[in-house]
Parts: sequence; C-alpha cells; structure tokens
Amino acid sequence: MDTSSLQQFINLVHPLKEEEMTKFLAIWQPFECKRKTILTAAGETEKYLYFVLEGVQRAFYIGHEKQEATIVFTYAPSFSGVADSLLTQTPSKYFLETLTSSRFLRASYRQLDQLMNEYPAVQRMVLRLTSFALKGVLERQIELQCFSAEEKFKTLLKRSPHVLQIIPHKYLASYLGIDATTFSKLLGSVRL
Amino acid sequence: MKKYKSIELLEQLQSDTRQLILTANYLQTIDPGVLLQEPAPGKWSVIQVLEHLNSYGRYYLLSIERSLENDKPAVEVFMPGWLGNYFTKLMKPGEDGAIINKTKSPKDHRPSKYLDVFPVLTTFLEQQHYLLELLEQAKSKNISGIRTPISISRLIRLKLGDTFRFLVAHEQRHFVQIDNTLAMVKGTINIFPANHLVMQQ
Repeated sequence: MDTSSLQQFINLVHPLKEEEMTKFLAIWQPFECKRKTILTAAGETEKYLYFVLEGVQRAFYIGHEKQEATIVFTYAPSFSGVADSLLTQTPSKYFLETLTSSRFLRASYRQLDQLMNEYPAVQRMVLRLTSFALKGVLERQIELQCFSAEEKFKTLLKRSPHVLQIIPHKYLASYLGIDATTFSKLLGSVRL
Repeated sequence: MKKYKSIELLEQLQSDTRQLILTANYLQTIDPGVLLQEPAPGKWSVIQVLEHLNSYGRYYLLSIERSLENDKPAVEVFMPGWLGNYFTKLMKPGEDGAIINKTKSPKDHRPSKYLDVFPVLTTFLEQQHYLLELLEQAKSKNISGIRTPISISRLIRLKLGDTFRFLVAHEQRHFVQIDNTLAMVKGTINIFPANHLVMQQ
C-alpha cells in the first residue's frame, strides 16, 4: 500500500522521527467508494480518520426548518472524516458524503488513539493539525457573520481558486450561505 | 450467482442504510400533515409506510442481534443462498427506482391509520442506527454460516448476509413508495433524486 503522499503531508505539518512515522503509517488501510456515498450519517459516531488520495467530499447539515447547509469540503491531499465527532467520540450532527468517486487511506479511531497514547509526538502532530483546522473554522465564522456575499465569494476564490473547477457551484453557494443565482451573478461580474 | 467480499457487502449495506437515514432526515423537515395524508383512499400515508418498516425492524433487528451471539469466525467471501437471493431480488427496486412485482403486506405488518409522526420517525431512525451497528458487528462474524429465521415462518432460515440484504432491499422498496406518495400528496414531481434510493450493489 502506498502511503507516500500521507508521509509527505505529515512531513510538511509536523515531521515525525523514523520509528514514530513507521508506526503511524502502519495503521492505514486503503478504502474506495463511488460518488454520492455517505461515509458518516448524522447521529453516527465517526469511526475513521480518512486521508484523501483522490476525489472531493462534502459535509452538510440538514436543519428542521431551513434547507441543508454545506459545512466543509475535503479533497487531496488532506484529512477527511467528521473531525469533531472523531475526536470527541460523540454523535455527528451532520452528514459526510463523497461528491465524486474517491480513494482514501483510513485509520480507525481506536488505533489512532492507541498511537497517540503511546507516542507524544503523534499526539502533538494531531494537536497541530486540529489547531489549524480550528483556526480555519473560526476564520470562516468571521466571514459568515461579517462579510457581504461579494466579499465571501472573493475570499473563497482567492484562497482556493481551483474549487470552481472541482465542486458543483450549487454546493459552493451553499457553503458561502448565498443562493445559487447570486453565486452565478457574482461569477459573471466579480473581477478577481 | 454473484459472490461478494463479505466486508464489501456489509459496507455497501451500511452505505445504503445511511442513504435511508439521510432521506428520513429530509422527511423530518416536511409538514406532519403531509406525512399523515393518504395519497388515495385506503393507500398508506408516508408515516404508515414507515410504521410498516418499523414493525419489520422490531422482528429482524432482534433476531439478528441474537444470531450475532454466534462466534463462528468471519468468512472472506459471501455466496448468497438461493432463497435469500430470490427474496432480495423480489424486494429490490430497479435501477430507475421502479417497483416490479407489487405484493400485499402480511396482515400483522399492516400499520394502523392512527399514528403520531414524531415517535414513528424517531423509531425509524433509531432502528437504522442500530442496523448500522449490527452490520458493523457482523464484520467479524460468519455471515454465511449463521442463519436467521424469516418473519413469516421460523422454519425458513436465511444466511445472515441474505437477511441483511433482504431487510435493506425491503426498506429501499418502501422508500420508493414514500417518494411516490409524497409526490401524489403534494401534487408535485418526486422530490428525491432516484440515486437516493437505488441500491448500488
């Protein structure tokens, strides 16, 4: 099994010593699925941490009154899975699905947890990953509460221009909390 | 007959079950009056369909739970039994979501007309989450060697893998009915895309 892209990714975030890296790479299994497969349902507790090798995934929430909201997208090379449910081992409030057929490496929570207990460096690495994820979430919170539709649109495309090519626009609109027609208007009018 | 890798079959069934959970979450956002409305005199409302599924769940989930006490080790390949395959095929909707071989439900699985929306939906969701859990436990069990009795006759016992396949196909079949019922009640086109319901195996 090829874990080189995972290893590369870890080395960029928080390098591990040889023994720790070997142990860490050993807990992953390959996993693939078709498009529109639900990996985790609302109410389930996340069992796996995924590392995306190929494809795009989307987490979304279904409210009782309002329509669904897109929470986050994941794509290669990055981690996926319902992070908060995984780390707290409490039920997820939202769904995680694949938008395109996807290939992953995945590790069970049990094995990851065991490794974190055994190797402080692995725990620090997970903390570092989580910290950056938290930073991203809080920044997005600011954008959602304070930015105009145009500002949100511009910020997204400055940060991740390639998402326009790989993610259907209705989901990008839902991610920004604007409606699909506003999104396509902005796409036609805004100069980046 | 098509063979399956046991783990892949169980994961596919888990993924099909999650799809049903997703649709049930959408149902929770619909006006209760709509869910209780009969599409035509004598035809089941959405909630009656769900209660029908709950009544099967009450039988099968318990029966599967008991069968999982059997400690026979897992088998890598699952070969459906003749009868299990026949029942599953009979239930399963077509790729386009079409229902062929319409049947009438057995008497003891016909739901009352007088139901509350909230407990029926909640029970349905609880049962699906329990089904996910049982499918997970089954990954380390022999889904070919363990057998469970079907609801109409305790003398007929299906391989556990087939019981799961049959149970999920039966739910998928009735979710096509739910989609059609909603369309009739609301006088609109079907609201769930066909790929919500189609089994991918």
